[in-house]
Amino acid sequence: MLQALVVGLVTGAIYGLMALGLVLIYKGSRVLNFAQAEIGTACLYVAWLVSAKGHQPYLVGAGAAILTAVAIGLLFERFVVRRMTDAPRLSVAVGTIGLFTFLFAAEIYFFGPSPRYLPAPITGLGVQVAGIYVSPTQMVSFAVIAVIAGGLAAFLRLTDFGLGVVAAAQDAAAVRLVGIRLSRVSMFTWGVGAALSAVAALLIEPTISLIAPGVIGEPLFVGGLAAALLGGLSSLPGAFIGGLLVGVLSTEIQFVASGRAIPGVSSLVLFAIVAGVLLVRPQGLLGSANLRAESGS
Amino acid sequence: MSAGPVSVSRRSSGTEVAPASPATPVPQSSEPVRRRPLLTPRRSNILLLLAAAILLPIVTAQAMPLAFTPTDSLVLAEAVAFAIAALALNMLTGYAGQISLGHAALLGVGAFASGLVTSKAGLPMWIGLPAAAVATGLIALVIGFPALRLRGLYLAMVTIAFGFAMYDSILRLDVFTGGSAGVELPRRIWHDTQFSDQSVMLAVALVALLAVWLLDANITRTRLGRAFRAIRENEAVAQAYGVDVARYKLVAFVLSGALAGLAGALWGHAVGFVNSESFPFDISLALIIMVVVGGLGSRVGAVIAGLAFSLFPVVLHGIAWLAGLDIMVGALLLMYTVSRHPGGFAEVIGEARERRRERRSARVQTPDDDAITIPALPRVTSLRTSTAVDPLAPVLEVENVTVRFGGLVAVDSASLRVPRGKIVGLIGPNGAGKTTLFNTISGLIRPTTGTVRLLGQDVSGLPAHRRAELGLGRTFQQIGLAKDQTMLDNLLLAQHLEAGYSTGRALAYTRGVAAAEEVMEARAREAITALGFDGREQTPVKRFSHGQQRIIEMGCALLTDPELLMLDEPSAGMAPGAVENLAVRLNDLRDSLGRTMLLIEHNVPLVLDVCDYIYVLNFGQVLAEGTPDEILAHPDVIGAYLGEAAG
Repeated sequence: MLQALVVGLVTGAIYGLMALGLVLIYKGSRVLNFAQAEIGTACLYVAWLVSAKGHQPYLVGAGAAILTAVAIGLLFERFVVRRMTDAPRLSVAVGTIGLFTFLFAAEIYFFGPSPRYLPAPITGLGVQVAGIYVSPTQMVSFAVIAVIAGGLAAFLRLTDFGLGVVAAAQDAAAVRLVGIRLSRVSMFTWGVGAALSAVAALLIEPTISLIAPGVIGEPLFVGGLAAALLGGLSSLPGAFIGGLLVGVLSTEIQFVASGRAIPGVSSLVLFAIVAGVLLVRPQGLLGSANLRAESGS
Repeated sequence: MSAGPVSVSRRSSGTEVAPASPATPVPQSSEPVRRRPLLTPRRSNILLLLAAAILLPIVTAQAMPLAFTPTDSLVLAEAVAFAIAALALNMLTGYAGQISLGHAALLGVGAFASGLVTSKAGLPMWIGLPAAAVATGLIALVIGFPALRLRGLYLAMVTIAFGFAMYDSILRLDVFTGGSAGVELPRRIWHDTQFSDQSVMLAVALVALLAVWLLDANITRTRLGRAFRAIRENEAVAQAYGVDVARYKLVAFVLSGALAGLAGALWGHAVGFVNSESFPFDISLALIIMVVVGGLGSRVGAVIAGLAFSLFPVVLHGIAWLAGLDIMVGALLLMYTVSRHPGGFAEVIGEARERRRERRSARVQTPDDDAITIPALPRVTSLRTSTAVDPLAPVLEVENVTVRFGGLVAVDSASLRVPRGKIVGLIGPNGAGKTTLFNTISGLIRPTTGTVRLLGQDVSGLPAHRRAELGLGRTFQQIGLAKDQTMLDNLLLAQHLEAGYSTGRALAYTRGVAAAEEVMEARAREAITALGFDGREQTPVKRFSHGQQRIIEMGCALLTDPELLMLDEPSAGMAPGAVENLAVRLNDLRDSLGRTMLLIEHNVPLVLDVCDYIYVLNFGQVLAEGTPDEILAHPDVIGAYLGEAAG
C-alpha cells in the first residue's frame, strides 16, 4: 500500500507535467492538444537513437529529445495553429489529431512495432525509508519535476511575459495592449508544452521500461488529461495537483482491485471520479469559476 | 415610405394550423425554391424508401458482383456505416454545437446490442438494427441527462471519460460481449435463413443511409433543427424565443446516440463480428475529423467526409510508391486541409455559392446603411387569448429585486411596473444595472431576493423559455439573432412556439408539420417585405449591418406576438434617420395595436418621445420615476447624468 503510494506519487507527478503542458497550450490557444503525449513519445526514439544506438551519454540523448520536441511544437504552431487564429477551436483540435496521427505513423514507419530499450541513467535498488524502497530513478524524477514545475511557476508569476501568458486566456486584447505579442505567447506555450511532453515521456519510460508505439503515449495522455480535468483546465497548480491525485488514485485502486472480476476497474473508477468532479465542479478542483470554456465555436 | 400594414393571423391552440395565409402576395425570392417536394413530402419519402428497400438489394445482388469483388463491397458497406456515424455526430456537434468525443462507445453499444439480439436471441437482423438504435438512444439518454449540464470543452471531456470507461471496462464484461472473444453478428433474415452476399449487405447499408438522410433533412427543415442551430449559436437567444435548451440538447444527444448505434450495428453486420477492441478512442477522433472536414452542420459534407475517410486510406494504400507512408501522408493532408479551410467542404462550397449569389443580387442591392429607415414593423394582430391570470393587473411587476454577483450588488431592491398598453422607459448611466435587471425579468438571471410577476403570475422561479411561452419577448444589446443563419431562418426561429408540433411529428414531417411550416414561412416572408428586405431572405444575418440586424431582431421579437416586448437599446447602431423612424414605429405599435413595451435606451430624445413613464436606475437602485416631464425636472437625474458626463 505505502509502496504503491510512492509509485503513485512518481507517476502522478509525471502526469502533472503532462497536464501542465495541456493547460499551458489550452491557455495560449484555447485548444485541447491531442498530440500532447505523442510529441514526447516520438522524441523518445530520438533519445534512443542518440544514447542507445549512438552510444552517447544519456543526458545528450535526453537533450536531443527535448530539442526535437520543441522543434515539433514550434513547427506545428507556425504552420497550423497560427494560420487558424480565427478558426473554430474544434478545427484546431482536429489539426492536433492530425499531428498525433502523423507522429504515431512515423514511429511505426521508421521503428516498427518492435520495442526499444533505453537504459536508465542510474540503476540500483535505492534507499529504504521506513520499509519503503525509493529507487534512484524515482528520486531523480522527483528532483527534475520539482525544478521544472517550480521554475515554470516562478517564470509565469515573476516575469511580465509570464503574466501575459497566464492572462492571455482570459483577455487576449488586454495582453496585447500591455505590449505582449500574442504570437509570442502562442509560440511559448507550444514550445514549452512540447518540451514538458518530452520530459514526461523520458521520466515515465523507466517505469514502463520499453519504447513502442502507443505503449507510452496512451497512459501519458489519459493520465495527463484526467489530471488537467481534475485540476480544472484553467489552473496550472490545479493541473499539477490533479496529476498527483490521479497517479496516487489509479495505483491505489489497481493495488486494491487487482485480481477482481471487473476488467479495467481502475480506469472505470478513475473516469467515474473525473466525470463526478466535472459534474459537481465543472471548473475543476482549483479552476476559477468565471473562466468558462467555449470550444464549440 | 410605409408599406401597408401586415396582418398576421394566429391561433391560440398550437397544433392545428390555419390554412395557408391570406391574399398577401408572397414575394418571389430570386433564389430557385429548392426544398419543394413533388408529392407531399412525407409520402414521397416513404415511397422513396420503399422503392430503395426493394430495388437496391435486388439490383445490387445482380449487378454489384460484376463490378465489385466481395471485398470491395465490404469496404464500401463499412464506409456507408461510417457516413451514417458521421451524420449522427454532425447532428449533435454540427447542428446543436455539443461536442462528443465518446461516440465510438455508442457505436459499440449499438453493435453489441444487435449482436446479442441476432446471435444470442436468434432474432433476425431487421429487428437487431432498430433494437440497436433504441438501446443506444437509451444509453445516450442516461449519459446525456447529467452530462449536458456541462458546456463546450467540459462536455467533451465527460464524453471522453465515458468513452474510455466503456472501452477499458464495460465493453469487456463477459455478460455483454463475451469479453475479447466477442460477439458474432449474423445476417439473419428469418430463423435459419441468412444471407452471405456482401453486396446485399452494402444495399442494406445504403437503404439505411437514405433513411437517415431523410430523417436528418426533416430535422433541419423543422423547428427541431432551428432550435438546435440557435442553441449552437447562442443559448440565451434560443431561450428568448421559447426554446427549452436543456430539453433540445437532450433530444439532439439521444437522436445522435440512436443513429450512432444504428451505424455501429450496420458496421458490425458488415464485418460479421465485433469484440472489445473494435471501438477504441481513435474512432471517436475519426468521427470528429469527419464532421469538421465535412464542415460542421453540413449534411452533404458529413456524408462525403464519412465515405472519403473510409475509402481514402484504401486508395492511398493502393499507391505503390507510397508504401508504408500512406498514413503519414494522410495526416499531413489533414493538417494542411484544416489549416487552409477550417470550415471544411461546406465552407468551400458555401463560399463559391455565396459569391455567385452576391453577383446576382448586386442588382437588387438595398440602399446603403445611412439611408436605412424602417418601412414598417410586422404587425402581428394578436388573437392570443390572453394568458393573464388577472387581466387588470399590470403586464409586469418587479418587486424589490436584488441581484448580487459575489460581493457586487448589481441591482439593489429595484421595483417597477409596466401597465398594459404603455411604453415604459428604463434609463441610467452605463453600469447602472439596466441590462442585469432585464436579464432578471426575462429569466436569464435568478434574483437573489425579490419577485417578478408577469401578467399577475409569479414567474420568479420559471426558466427563460417558460417566460417566453407566457408572452415575454425581448431583444438583446448584442443582437439576439442566430447570426450564421439566414434572415428567413431567424424569422422562422422566432415562431418556434407558434409551430407547436411535437418532435415525433417533426421527425416524420407529417402533413400537419408541412402545413404549419408553410404558414410560418408565408408569415416570415410578409415580415421581410414589411421590413424592406425583399430578396435577401437567404442572406446570413451576419452579412447585414448592425442597424439592419436591429431591425430584423425587432421583427423577430414581434413575430413572437409578445404580451410584453422588452427592447434593450433598440436605437444603438442605427442611423439617425432610422432612429426618428423608430420612434414613429414604436408609437404606432402602442397606439394602434396596444402593444406593451419596456425600453432600455441611451438616446434621451427617443425615450422622451415615446415613453409614457420612465424609471431612472443608478448604482442598481431606482433613483427616480415619473412621466417624461417629471423626470426632466428631477434634480437627482440631472446630477446622475452630469456625473456620468464628467466621469
